[in-house]
Amino acid sequence: MLQFSKFVAVRAALAVLTLVLVSFIVFTLMELVPGDCAERYVAFKSSQGSVITAADIQIERVRLGLDQPYVQRWGSWIFNAFQGEFGDSCILRVNIAQLLGQKFWLSLGLCLSALLLAYAIAIPVGIIAATSKNAVLNNSLRLVSYLGLALPNFLLALMIMLFSTVFFGDSLTGLFSKEYRDAPWDYDKVMDFLGHAWLPVFILGWSATAFAIQTVRALMSDEIGKLYVTAAAARGVSGRRLLMRYPARHALSPIINSLGFDLNRIFTELPIVALILTLTEAGSLLIEALARSNDQQLAGAIIFMLTASIVGINFITDIILALTDPRIRRSIVG
Amino acid sequence: MDMTDITNTDASLDQKLKEAYFTAGQGQLIWQRFKKNKSALAGAWVLIALILSGIFAPFLTPYDATIAGRDKDYMNGAPQIPIFWDDNGFSIRPFIYSFERSRSIKTNFRWVTEIKSELEDRRYVTFFAKGQEFKFLGIKFERHLFGVDRGMIHIFGTDSTGKDIYSRTMTAINTSMAVGTIGVVIAFFMALVIGGVSGYYGGKIDAVLQMITDTVKTIPSIPLFMALAAFVPDTWSAEERFFFISVVLGLIGWTTLARRIRTHLLSERNQEYVLAAELCGASPGHVIRRHLLPSFTSYIIVDLVISFPYMILAETALSFIGLGLKDPVNSLGVMLQNVTSADVLLNYQWYFIPVIFFIILVLAFVFVGDGLRDAADPYSDAK
Repeated sequence: MLQFSKFVAVRAALAVLTLVLVSFIVFTLMELVPGDCAERYVAFKSSQGSVITAADIQIERVRLGLDQPYVQRWGSWIFNAFQGEFGDSCILRVNIAQLLGQKFWLSLGLCLSALLLAYAIAIPVGIIAATSKNAVLNNSLRLVSYLGLALPNFLLALMIMLFSTVFFGDSLTGLFSKEYRDAPWDYDKVMDFLGHAWLPVFILGWSATAFAIQTVRALMSDEIGKLYVTAAAARGVSGRRLLMRYPARHALSPIINSLGFDLNRIFTELPIVALILTLTEAGSLLIEALARSNDQQLAGAIIFMLTASIVGINFITDIILALTDPRIRRSIVG
Repeated sequence: MDMTDITNTDASLDQKLKEAYFTAGQGQLIWQRFKKNKSALAGAWVLIALILSGIFAPFLTPYDATIAGRDKDYMNGAPQIPIFWDDNGFSIRPFIYSFERSRSIKTNFRWVTEIKSELEDRRYVTFFAKGQEFKFLGIKFERHLFGVDRGMIHIFGTDSTGKDIYSRTMTAINTSMAVGTIGVVIAFFMALVIGGVSGYYGGKIDAVLQMITDTVKTIPSIPLFMALAAFVPDTWSAEERFFFISVVLGLIGWTTLARRIRTHLLSERNQEYVLAAELCGASPGHVIRRHLLPSFTSYIIVDLVISFPYMILAETALSFIGLGLKDPVNSLGVMLQNVTSADVLLNYQWYFIPVIFFIILVLAFVFVGDGLRDAADPYSDAK
């Protein structure tokens, strides 16, 4: 038990270290973007008609703490970030934590559902693909997973929009109907949300599923030829029982291990899919922050939160693996 | 003497085949296995055809792909498919029709095309037609593969400024290949250095480098990419932008390859043949050059081919949201920038034609990459 809590502590420390490293990269990027928050704010002021001098910019800089040395600012940024506090947005002038709030959790929810969907399909299909000798089935599965790569999510989203506009006259965009957008959460709003959310989840899950099928199939076919499977078959275990109890258990633990990176891939695609389907409640805020307004404070906060959730998932899967996989458990407990 | 030769022919042929097999270089072996894979071979032909049509795009396409080649009389025009016969009879030379466009309050100020299908309205397709001048390898040409005897021909239609979508698509293939090549070369170089150092020295250096690699891998790539692309000042020319985007793609895309090179080096370093070479007194340089490098060059080439489509797709996604390439550089992403509007979805579906080409291009890459991976695996025959 002691060893196990030590293991958890070491993993947690590593996760925090990774986050600190990430925050350094993100913070440096934000610094490198030409211009700073003070200039941007003052530029906004001058567009409103006020006359702005260099001294005004300097005053604003001091007020925002931008005159302090780089490392010190990074330190305070990361210190606040770990408490969920990212300061004010450069352009929108509102608190970022409030601005993101619900939107971030909705995005995370969409991505996690897509991930769940992907593996709910990929695990049984991948196992079937690895064990079946049916050439037609195998080849068609192969083609589907190739298409998952060749028809990336945003092209798929475009195609679905094209199709539904031409045939149904509705482009299937948004996450809520108009009347529910600002309404408090209740049963009707949840139903309305689910009615809209299936499409982004499907689109985000599309290439994730293709990818996952290939992984499951490769891992399964590696395991299935091994001697312990033959030995089990010789003992008289057969059929689904044989697959589930022996090779599948081995094949699935690397998959649990890589869930964090799978989530990363889905996150990567979210902003673009969100842009196409005009999901203003999720994801597209990032594009807004980067492409339209160059709002480094907001962009940094979003990237940090995305990375934090990936690191968090990596941490959780490490613990789950240590608990469920006897080989890893043994290596920890000794 | 002759008699013995004849009786030995079968055996010696067999012997020769065996000899050929055992003395074949790695490249020959890979090619032998690759040839057997029909889908990969087909993919390779398609890929070669697409790359060639990208390279010779200025000749294969009738018009300049930039605004210089626009057809101001046929904006947002539908594809014109050449035909051989109609009610007025058959023609050896394929032709398209002339048209008249008008817009008024009656048509809701939308251009309406009226096709004139009389005999005298035929525009015949000409081959090796004289057209706009273009430069290829520094030499000026003015002949294009096809054109029409009067007016212009747009087999994939035109976009909102009247640019020929067929010409743009072919040029875009070139752009994608160039972006992919630059990105892959940079990613490859970084992966080779970082993965190589990590795998060759092992120990603490390896641990630190792996930590950094993992960190870069943890950051979602497109958001990171968007943050980097946001640096590009608006004053940059299209060419500078193009180069910057390709470099950034490479700077982000190296992690997977670096990890593979490192793993491979780590495992190969402890193989018996390396030990044997060392015991024979071979210097480290000799071991790396003659033993380690040949053991995984084929894997690296395969990895490069596999990472190509990812580069192309990343560029497309980025240009699509307006952070990547911009006019007048043509790429699929640039061409798709405006297609989400309901107007395009409902009325101008031919904007989507280039998508087909890109799906084929990426699919071809995936088939070839997969075929190469199987062919490069020396144990694939046994399975």
